[in-house]
Amino acid sequence: MVGNGELQRTVLMATCVKHIFKLKMELQCHIKEHLTMYRHFFLWRAKKTINKIKRQPAAKLLQSCPTLCEPIDGSPKGSPIPGILQEALDPPLDDLEVNETTTAAEVIKYEYHVLYSCSYQVPVLYFRASFLDGRPLALKDIWEGVHECYKMRLLQGPWDTITQQEHPILGQPFFVLHPCKTSEFMTPVLKNSQKINRNVNYITSWLSMVGPAVGLNLPLSYATAASQDEGNVDGQDSSIERKSLEEH
Amino acid sequence: MTDDKDVLRDVWFGRIPTCFTLYQDEITEREAEPYYLLLPRVSYLTLVTDKVKKHFQKVMRQEDISEIWFEYEGTPLKWHYPIGLLFDLLASSSALPWNITVHFKSFPEKDLLHCPSKDVIEAHFMSCVKEADALKHKSQVINEMQKKDHKQLWMGLQNDRFDQFWAINRKLMEYPAEENGFRYIPFRIYQTTTERPFIQKLFRPVSTDGQLHTLGDLLKEVCPSAVAPEVFWDQVVASDTENVLCLNSRDHPQIHRMDCSTGRSQPESKWPPSPPQRSPGPSCDGETQVPVTLLIGIPPYLKPSLEFSTQTHSNGVSVTDN
Repeated sequence: MVGNGELQRTVLMATCVKHIFKLKMELQCHIKEHLTMYRHFFLWRAKKTINKIKRQPAAKLLQSCPTLCEPIDGSPKGSPIPGILQEALDPPLDDLEVNETTTAAEVIKYEYHVLYSCSYQVPVLYFRASFLDGRPLALKDIWEGVHECYKMRLLQGPWDTITQQEHPILGQPFFVLHPCKTSEFMTPVLKNSQKINRNVNYITSWLSMVGPAVGLNLPLSYATAASQDEGNVDGQDSSIERKSLEEH
Repeated sequence: MTDDKDVLRDVWFGRIPTCFTLYQDEITEREAEPYYLLLPRVSYLTLVTDKVKKHFQKVMRQEDISEIWFEYEGTPLKWHYPIGLLFDLLASSSALPWNITVHFKSFPEKDLLHCPSKDVIEAHFMSCVKEADALKHKSQVINEMQKKDHKQLWMGLQNDRFDQFWAINRKLMEYPAEENGFRYIPFRIYQTTTERPFIQKLFRPVSTDGQLHTLGDLLKEVCPSAVAPEVFWDQVVASDTENVLCLNSRDHPQIHRMDCSTGRSQPESKWPPSPPQRSPGPSCDGETQVPVTLLIGIPPYLKPSLEFSTQTHSNGVSVTDN
């Protein structure tokens, strides 16, 4: 069934990077004690994404959430110019009722990379999607899977929005969310936060805007954790925990 | 730029004689004859091989046919690279015609982009043009153009119409008089020896003290391992061309001619000052090749040769390393 190896790796990655994710995992153990931790986690995530992607009721999506860890270009963790992101966990935001799987269900695995474009001088989201047996999704499938809210924009110019391109470092086919409009929508975000004297983590803000269009939902805790990190962590661990609990 | 028209035409009309053979394991109803075609260097494989596809599909059953893809000596050919680039990278040291194998099964998902329709090629081409303009003009020129101008660029390429293409492209090649050049030079360096598909970095045409940069400067900064500067000068092969041309005139009006004997470069404000030297390159079959193709030798213990092909890649220079 599920590549348990895959999940285990994912769990370990998340725990070593963000303590907040580990916390959420423990929470879920309490809720569904009869399931092993990993299997439970997988089923929960699948259910959440079923609700989101209405077009594919038979498909279960195993999604990865990026963390700014281990950038390949050697930049420090969490720096604004990330290298390749690793898989991590997607913490729960809503009801944790677990559906039993249907035998016809298919799991789709997504892999997201954030790269920096020196031509446009903005980050760019690259991703690929495949079934667990390795069969990749086609561009048509990706377009169909785009969330309803973003469908209009996609249909206005699908060829300008999401296409298949060669990954500039790996040389393999990836889907890309075109970056030509990024600086256009990021500028007001940066300007506004400057006005109110608030620090903005460019990547978190940017990713929270573009990610959801292609199935990558950045949890709120990401932003709060990022801004907490900037303001010195120590005494604030408890408040982070409290916030994450509230989100359930 | 009007003086460069000859060179621009030569670049545009560059051709590679190619022989297409069906992969032996494909299922056919009769024997498939090879198909010969002159491929335009500046275009894309999937854009110019409709006839090839039709030719082979005539001897196959519909159920045995899925997406076409091409391969040379075991390497799947990336259709999204210009044909001239693919040839220079993989086959320029082999005898002509270029022998390409045609496949209709087992599409290599991990290596090649899909190309189900011409729209995909158009999208790819336009995104290259846009990225190049982002570097040259902060996207101002391309964004000010109307949709029909974009379409004309594409149709010019698709239908092999030099004038139609250049009517629009020349706007992308201009820069304001007060500037000394583009903001950054759009280029990519392809090498067969590296893991990465290509090298692309920001590079200004003018240095901080106002000197115009040459191709040699660019290579030294961006790709130092490929060229040892002292060798660069010594080993210029003078038999093919007397003047080493730096930066294709199609892309950059400042052409620098490096004098082989002295190793010094002098900027030329227009190119060429006199009719271009028309000496055929060694890899062509006697047909007049674009005079700007040059071979620069490097001592054998480093690399066999470093070929600068000034066949461009969508408004950028493509420099390949054999």
